Amino acid sequence: MEPADELLNDQASLELEADPMRLNMGPSHPAMHGTIRMVMDLDGENLVSLDVQPGYLHRGFEKSCERGTWAQVFPYADRLNYVSPMLNNVGWSLAVEKLLGIEVPERCQYYRVILGELSRIADHFTCNGASAMELGAFTPFLWLLKVRDWVWDILERETGARMTHSFGRIGGMAAPPTQNFKDDVRQLIPEVHKVVKETEIMLLRNRIFLDRMQGVGVLTKEQALSYGVTGPVARSAGVAYDVRKDHPYLVYDRFDFDVPIGEDGDNWDRFMVRLEEIRQSVRIIEQALEQMPDDGPINVDDPRIVYPEKQDVYTTIEATIAHFKLVMEGLRVPAGEVYSFTEGGNGELGFHIVSDGSGTPYRVRVRPPCWYNLAASREMLLGGMIADIIPTFGSVNMIGGECDR
Amino acid sequence: MAKFVLDGKDIPFEPGETVMQAAWREGIEIPHYCWHPGLSIAANCRMCLVQVESGRQMAMPQLAWDEAKGEYVPATKPKLQPACQLAAAEDMVVSSTNDEVKNAQASVQEFLLLNHPVDCPICDQAGECKLQDYYYEHQGTLKRKLTEPVHKPKGVRFGPTIVYDAERCIMCTRCIRVCDEVAKDHVLDMRERGNKNEIVLAPGRELDHKYTLMTEHVCPVGALTSSDFRFKARVWFLKSGEGVCTGCATGCNTHVDYDPRYGKVYRLRPRDNEDVNKFWMCDDGMMTYTRHSTDRLLTPTSGRGQARAAVGEDEGLELAAAALKGVDADKFAIVLSAQHSTEDNLALVKFAGALGTSRLYLAALGGWEGDDILRSDDNNPNRAGATQAAGGVELKSLSELLADVKSGAVQGVLALGWASAESLDELSPLTSLDAVVSLSSHVGALPAAAAVALPVADTFEIAGSFVNAKGMTQSFSPVLSGPAGIEPAWETASALARALGHDLGFDSLESLRQGLADSAEAAQ
Repeated sequence: MEPADELLNDQASLELEADPMRLNMGPSHPAMHGTIRMVMDLDGENLVSLDVQPGYLHRGFEKSCERGTWAQVFPYADRLNYVSPMLNNVGWSLAVEKLLGIEVPERCQYYRVILGELSRIADHFTCNGASAMELGAFTPFLWLLKVRDWVWDILERETGARMTHSFGRIGGMAAPPTQNFKDDVRQLIPEVHKVVKETEIMLLRNRIFLDRMQGVGVLTKEQALSYGVTGPVARSAGVAYDVRKDHPYLVYDRFDFDVPIGEDGDNWDRFMVRLEEIRQSVRIIEQALEQMPDDGPINVDDPRIVYPEKQDVYTTIEATIAHFKLVMEGLRVPAGEVYSFTEGGNGELGFHIVSDGSGTPYRVRVRPPCWYNLAASREMLLGGMIADIIPTFGSVNMIGGECDR
Repeated sequence: MAKFVLDGKDIPFEPGETVMQAAWREGIEIPHYCWHPGLSIAANCRMCLVQVESGRQMAMPQLAWDEAKGEYVPATKPKLQPACQLAAAEDMVVSSTNDEVKNAQASVQEFLLLNHPVDCPICDQAGECKLQDYYYEHQGTLKRKLTEPVHKPKGVRFGPTIVYDAERCIMCTRCIRVCDEVAKDHVLDMRERGNKNEIVLAPGRELDHKYTLMTEHVCPVGALTSSDFRFKARVWFLKSGEGVCTGCATGCNTHVDYDPRYGKVYRLRPRDNEDVNKFWMCDDGMMTYTRHSTDRLLTPTSGRGQARAAVGEDEGLELAAAALKGVDADKFAIVLSAQHSTEDNLALVKFAGALGTSRLYLAALGGWEGDDILRSDDNNPNRAGATQAAGGVELKSLSELLADVKSGAVQGVLALGWASAESLDELSPLTSLDAVVSLSSHVGALPAAAAVALPVADTFEIAGSFVNAKGMTQSFSPVLSGPAGIEPAWETASALARALGHDLGFDSLESLRQGLADSAEAAQ
């Protein structure tokens, strides 16, 4: 570009540039959650071309899985969608359990459902809160994160960690529910309802918010399907696909809940679908709390899969050997391959795992919902204005940890 | 070939073979403790019980729980037979995986662990223990017995090499049979019955024959442990390479277990080879690994006795070349080594050819007793290979070399290896010469008698081959990398020749081996 004084001397060049301007956004940009790079050509403020480039946060997740035991994948899985790590934990457990051909006890299934739905609530609160904040509404963000903190308080009491719990186990969970688990969750539910209501009051009649959300970042149903988009993004475009409803796992077929869908596939619908899903998650939790047995085992009864009690390890040879084998060689999963999928925070979270019969995964392939959502985000953004990138990309809820594996 | 069916798979067998034997040859393992392919059949562990599903079933009466009646009622169940003792028959259908068999395997395993001590954390066998493997594969239940286990003697010294733990023992009698059948020495036996069963020494005896470590090798659990390996390493940290024993001219095949973190070899294990050592090795052979990390020559040295001093790598080569320069070709002696690979020896033969001398001698170890089991009368692994490298001519002995030195017929010597039957005193005529260079992996009489000694790689660190007493050539690859800057003897010999202005005509092991093929042809 020419120096400013030259521009001033040449009156003609004060006219708007006719050629599109190329602009880089990211990978190191606060709105490009998780190091995504966008290269765009701008005609004034409008995007005429756009290239969304992932790959700047290569975790090596899938490769890392091939050098530890099956159980050692949990900490990696935590860090896939780190906003709802419990859902990833459960997803991984279910995948390996499917290959093993085992099913965890009923109490554990309910426990997994409740912890998972709490995570989903936290996930949606985070996404919606951030969406509002990115449009300048900082109060709703703090409002929503306040409840997320309360959710995390419960998760912390149950698992010992607020975020990366590593709480799932193959064949069960790391620990049974604490004594006050049900009461804690029951006390939380009214607070969740209250905050969702307050958020609606704060935002849904706000002119600025409406203008920036409605009709912006539209993804049609056809586009959603052709890109393989799942989760809230697909549902907001009218695709009524929810793994919990269409391919029930755990005990989801025992609950009465609705799958909210949108019509326009714009930012507004994505925001509203997530808000409604929070309410539906609460419904699931309420029913699960009623149905969940208070007693009974959490883990499957097989010392070849689940660690025996420490007391037994120290005093009996059988438990010592089981412990030794599980630690030194890892639990052995029969040779074969399996695709197991659950409803993650952002859609269908799939694990395609291959076992060669040893204690170490032969190949782990993740189908991260974000990957497909990210691919579709170009369609949402193209033709729009540069300022809309931020709320739209925010509502896609791309999580770097699972997108770049 | 006749066939029977095991778990839906056709298994060919020779007449007279057992189900276990035929399956083992096909690479299928029916779980077992007491059976060993190299030993007689005991059929006492009961782990290999299988069901013969063809023909008339042998039924065994028993009481079975009847849920409806709420009591035990008379019933029959198929009688299982030990696969290790069951002669294979044409078209026989055998199952080693049906529910009856699985139940039997789990029960046998549970019985074996009934009084087993909680020793895995302190047991050398942990990580390669059949009790652990079979527990995981065939049992997988927790303890049902709540009473104190039966206690028996622990840490019993059986002899200089073996320690016995009766609590860990499953009484498979493999050790007794290995003493009887391999070592031909009935020094172990069993006493008492049931819970009190234990392995004992013959009165007044120690476990001190030449094959004691084989008792530890065949022990499927941690009952017999080697005093040498005991508490030294955990097996899951060890990696394994394949080698050939340097103990004698039998050339037993070995697994070389080493810790990659320290580059240290911890033990040898026999590697099955039907044509050489079957499944066994002798104690002295098993212990040859200790040479690798003891008394190594790690830097070139110059001078003798008190004046001996370490010198730098390049300086060593220069000093060696300077010492050998100017010696008349017809007064130059090359000493080959029966402890070194054929390739190393061939490099020295080529060295002799380049210099133009035909004075070839052979250094070899002595002082050893062979037997008619495995131990050869010659305790050098490669006398035949060294002879082959020299083109098949009879190599003169070291004592002839000493005589030639005394008479003045030899004025310069290049010697390979540390090993010689002669002591340093006996080698003293060599110390009167200045032009004596030794290429050696270890300290010893030969390098000590040399004016300049250059370090070379040990057998575990090189690729090469040995020719055993039967004339079989067995090649081996490097198991681990040697100390920095130390090359195989053939490379060092080549470098020394270059320093003297000669080219030995090879630059890799492949081109050197081509030379070996040529000299073998020439010999014929």
